This record gives sequence, structure tokens and C-alpha cells, in this order.
Amino acid sequence: MMKKIIFTGLLAGVVLSILSYGSLYFGIKFFPRFFVDYNNPLFDSHGDRDILFYTHAFVISFALSWFWDRFKRLFHGSILWRGLEFGFVYAMVSLLPVMWITFSAMDVTAFMVMSWFLYGFAQSVIAGILFAKFNP
Amino acid sequence: MCLTTISWPIYGFNVASTNLSNLSSPVKWALSKQCMLKVNGSTNINKFSCVIPEYELPDTLTIGKETNRQRVKISGSMVLGVQKFDCKNPMMTSDLRKILKAKSFPRLIITFEDLSSYPDPANPGVAIKGFVTIELAGAVKRFEVDYQYVMAAEKRLRMTGTKTLHFSDFNIVPPKRLGGMIKTNNELNVEFMLNIKILN
Repeated sequence: MMKKIIFTGLLAGVVLSILSYGSLYFGIKFFPRFFVDYNNPLFDSHGDRDILFYTHAFVISFALSWFWDRFKRLFHGSILWRGLEFGFVYAMVSLLPVMWITFSAMDVTAFMVMSWFLYGFAQSVIAGILFAKFNP
Repeated sequence: MCLTTISWPIYGFNVASTNLSNLSSPVKWALSKQCMLKVNGSTNINKFSCVIPEYELPDTLTIGKETNRQRVKISGSMVLGVQKFDCKNPMMTSDLRKILKAKSFPRLIITFEDLSSYPDPANPGVAIKGFVTIELAGAVKRFEVDYQYVMAAEKRLRMTGTKTLHFSDFNIVPPKRLGGMIKTNNELNVEFMLNIKILN
């Protein structure tokens, strides 16, 4: 069981790293105006936390892998549907309250918060599909 | 020496000369509130332009003479509040203030040292240069600045100094965000406009 959690977590980490940082890179390259507000002192500017930034995909993957293994019996249907439902549950239970409090307490724009919500939702759906396929 | 033979703007705007030895006594330049400083920079996703729109502590510069090579000596400085920077975007404004360490070093001081020649009202297009020292974020650096000037009115001189600087000149590391995907370029174009009332 633990092996499956680690394997699928690692797999999802690699896939999410490529997709997440790739989409961020191309998003900044082709839609730079959406990222102008990141020139904000709220965001780390020294680069000393870059390693934490780039390991985020693995952190969320291992957390979701454990969560999936624990509750996968609750998700039924095709691989795609199970992945979607898993992502939706994660978005409702975790992302929505976190984004809500973030927007209420920090000087960030609604667009930023919405984009983070959708980004996290997409990550959890992709991870869910991988988990449904490799740890059904 | 007869003052009427002297060509500097303080004595009138109709005679031009480059003979510095004619300047017998120091001239005072009063910096008005309309002085401003603009910083233009860029990141890999946008450009920014931040302004200190007015000079809250009007001061006086003393323009003397220097015998060698006709350079005009200046003593005096312009003190600006880093917290007054406005980038027309609240996030960028607070970001620039943080980058420039405004809390620890709230003042930007431009100390004028000299000019390559005295502004000649008859030849306003002639470029002049001058050395300044700039104190910013706890570091002091000497630069040669290019000036352009116009006579705005009688005894009113408007000088604009421009210089390309780098964050690294002041030991500031240009910020980068989102794991280095958004990077601020090291180069900054600084422009300061001096609105001067010529005294004496």
C-alpha cells in the first residue's frame, strides 16, 4: 500500500512538475500582462525559497496520493470521471476555504486567487486521473 | 570686474560666453518644488516608470567656478524621499520602495559636484555633463550625468539630467519572482528634472 502511495505520488509529482511549471512558463511568456501584479512585495523576491517553489508539485502529489489511497473507494466511474470528482472534492474541501481566507487577508487580486484556484483544481484532477489509472 | 560684461544667465539671457573666469562670485540656484525624479525600469514581462513627483524640501545649490578646464563647481544636494515613489500601480509602488529599502534608508540624495560648462541660454541644445554622487539604499556612488536644459523664463532654468544606472551599483539584487520566472532587469534609466530659480 505504501509502495503504491509513493510510486503514484512520485509519478504525479513528475507529471505535475512538467505541466505546472511548463504552463506557468508559457503563460508568463505569452500572457505577460496577467502576471504584472506578481511584482508585489508579498511575493518572495530573493530567490532563496526557489527550491520550495519547485518542489511544490511533489508536495501536493504525495499529499493527494495519500488522500486518494485513503478515500478512493468513494470515487466511482471511469478513470476520467474519478479524477474529476477527486479534483472537485479537493478543490471544495481545501482550495476554496484557503483561497477565501487568502483573498480576505492579503493584498492580492481576485484574478490571482481565481487563477490559483483553477491551477490547483487542474493539478488535482490530473493527479486524480493518474491515481485512478495506477492505483485504482 | 564689470558685471555687465558677464554672460551667465543670472546677468541676463542675451549674451553667451564660455569664459568661466568672468564668473566672479558664486551664483545661487534655488531648486523649486517642481523638481522631480523618474526611474524607468523593466522586467521580463513589463516596463515600469516610477516618479517622485515633487521636491518637498526646496534647497539651494551654490554654483562656483573651477579654474582648471573650465568646469563649474557646484555644491549642494537634492534630498528626496524614497517613500514618495509612485509607480501608478500600488503593488509596484510598494515593491519598488521595498527593493530600495525605503524603511531603512528613506532618503535618496543627489549631491551635485560640477558641470562641464555653465548652461548657456544662447545655446540650449548644447549637451553638458556633470558629476554627481547618488546615495541610495545605503550605498553611495559617483556618476557622470548628461544634462539638457532650457531657459523656462527669465532667471528660470530647467535642467534634465539622465543616467543609466544599475541596481547592482547600489548593492541591490534585482528581484525575481515565481522561482525566477519573473525577473527584474538590472538596468534603470534615471531622469531628474531640476526647476531652478537663479538667484543673486
